[in-house]
Amino acid sequence: MRKLLRLLFLVTMMVPAAPAIAQEIAVSELLAESPNLSNQEITIEGELVGDFGFRGDGWMWTQLNDDPYVDHPIRDGIAPIGGNIGVGVRIPSELAESLDHPGGYHHRGPVVRLTGIWRHHDPDRQGESYLEVESLELIDEGRLLDEGVVWWTVIVGLGLLAAAGLIWTARPKPDEH
Amino acid sequence: MLIRPIADDFKIIALYLGRILLVVAAAGMLPLAWAAIAREWDPFGSFLLMVGIFAFLGVTGIRLGPEEPKLDWSHGMVVVALTWLVVPIIGAIPLLLSGHFVRPLDAFFDSMSGLTTTGLSLLSDLDHLASSLNFWRHLLQFLGGQGIIIAALTIFAGTGGITLYFGEARDERILPSVTSTARFIWGVSVVHLVFGVAALGLVGWLALGFDLDRALFHGLLVFFAAFDTGGFSPMSTSIGYYHSALFEGFTALLMVAGAMSFGLHYALWRGPRRAIFANLETKTILSTFGFTLLVTLLGLAATSVFTTAVGLTRQGLFQVLSAHTGTGFATVSTAELARWGGLAFGGLAIAMALGGMGSSTAGGVKSLRIGLTIKSVVNQIKQMLLPEHALVGTGYYQSGEKHLSPTLTQSVMIVSLLYVALYLLGAGIGLAYGIPLQAALFESVSASANVGLSVGVTDPSMPVLLELTYMLQMWAGRLEFVAVFSLIGFMLAWVKGK
Repeated sequence: MRKLLRLLFLVTMMVPAAPAIAQEIAVSELLAESPNLSNQEITIEGELVGDFGFRGDGWMWTQLNDDPYVDHPIRDGIAPIGGNIGVGVRIPSELAESLDHPGGYHHRGPVVRLTGIWRHHDPDRQGESYLEVESLELIDEGRLLDEGVVWWTVIVGLGLLAAAGLIWTARPKPDEH
Repeated sequence: MLIRPIADDFKIIALYLGRILLVVAAAGMLPLAWAAIAREWDPFGSFLLMVGIFAFLGVTGIRLGPEEPKLDWSHGMVVVALTWLVVPIIGAIPLLLSGHFVRPLDAFFDSMSGLTTTGLSLLSDLDHLASSLNFWRHLLQFLGGQGIIIAALTIFAGTGGITLYFGEARDERILPSVTSTARFIWGVSVVHLVFGVAALGLVGWLALGFDLDRALFHGLLVFFAAFDTGGFSPMSTSIGYYHSALFEGFTALLMVAGAMSFGLHYALWRGPRRAIFANLETKTILSTFGFTLLVTLLGLAATSVFTTAVGLTRQGLFQVLSAHTGTGFATVSTAELARWGGLAFGGLAIAMALGGMGSSTAGGVKSLRIGLTIKSVVNQIKQMLLPEHALVGTGYYQSGEKHLSPTLTQSVMIVSLLYVALYLLGAGIGLAYGIPLQAALFESVSASANVGLSVGVTDPSMPVLLELTYMLQMWAGRLEFVAVFSLIGFMLAWVKGK
């Protein structure tokens, strides 16, 4: 029994301490609980949208959205159900350089999992709130979004313009003679 | 007795409305061209449809018009009120066809919000919206802020201009003729446009690391929304997206320029500049801004929302400036704004309710009315305290010595009271739907004063009646009631007149 206990003790001591696991959180929850999560390590997942702003100081700033449009923007045919839910993130430039185009009208941006420190009203940045990213995992690469011409709008629009032109020219008012 | 309007009345209204719709059709060519350049073919078709409808209705209205139109006060007011209904309805078509709205009414809501420079939005997935549609939303703010009527007057000089000019809630004629005043207003705006877009674009490109085309895109759209105190933004996180004090600084300057009356712009350009600070309106807005800023900062400090004085000042100052100028930009999330209770909430709500200067792009009660109201109350108190036959001075300085007559006092009081009633109307309906008092009042004031700050009530899931109420508030608040009442009177006369 004593041998067994000694063995258990040794095994316990040999197991390396597991790294602290960052709390994975939805952005809506993060915004609601922002003060309570200040300076804590968290993980968020979503689409990078807007612009990739490399500021030349070793950081790239962008926005991460965690909302129903991450997998399927409205252009993919999903029904609209409300606004975007996003948060500002700053990513070390060397981690961000491999990222493709940010999300927008023509692109669904890269979907990433970001782990870092949540800076709530960061005193060093005069009260801004953002995630200071330490690690980045690419979940799904960005992709082009398809688009086609809606012909009926073009035809009706041209028809109305032609009709307007005809009315303008066909019946000149007496004082215009 | 109500006199039923005759066919000629309708023809005159059709003529002037037609002219204005033609101007908007020309403006609609800009997003159409934008969509073609950006290869956004879906919006391209919807803009073509919109331009076609504007042009068709415009030309038809002009052709229906009489040969010798005599626009009287009532016609002018009806034209203005109708313009501010018809333009957002047709202007909503590209938004509606984009698929970014839950209900068709929501697209009309956004279009009305844009034109009235309010900035509340029901648009879903803004961050994937076509750039041409985003441009159109912001251009609507520019057209609404500068005044569509002003645009029409600049192009179609003619009789009746003064009625249309005043109908669009402008009470100051800067130059001898309305047409030259309209051209001056557009001149001021174009100069600000060039410098504003250049400044914001350069910050975006050089400091924020955006691509040049994207930096100019952000600069242009933020300029439209800032100078016209609109509050729409290119991205869903508003000005907080940029994470830049420099960008916020330039945006703040544009918001201030937008909330200044064009009379003040004239004085700044042509002088005399000394008179600017003697104006009752300038004194009032500086006082109310200082007061609401102090109240908000004290509220934020008391609840330790920010841990440093610099953070508190930067964030508090921007939010109060945005509220007081009626812009509606934010650098904090809606969730956080909803947490600002107590004094901070009070400071922001009061700032929104008071608004900017008269004859500017801002909404709200307006500083001159606030100043005149305070002056008349003080005069009343003085009169009570002084001997019965003592005379109390009724003069005030506003671009020259003026006299605060009983008629002026009455008019100022009535409009101010109407604003208060409008604020309470939306708050009451919000309360009836179970929205907490603080949020219901905040959102109602934001809609009526054409501000656009939101604590989350304005949402695609909001009740239709509340949505319609906010739209009515935006419309009536922007036109300062007179044109709206004239339209109601005209319709009553049509139905019940003899």
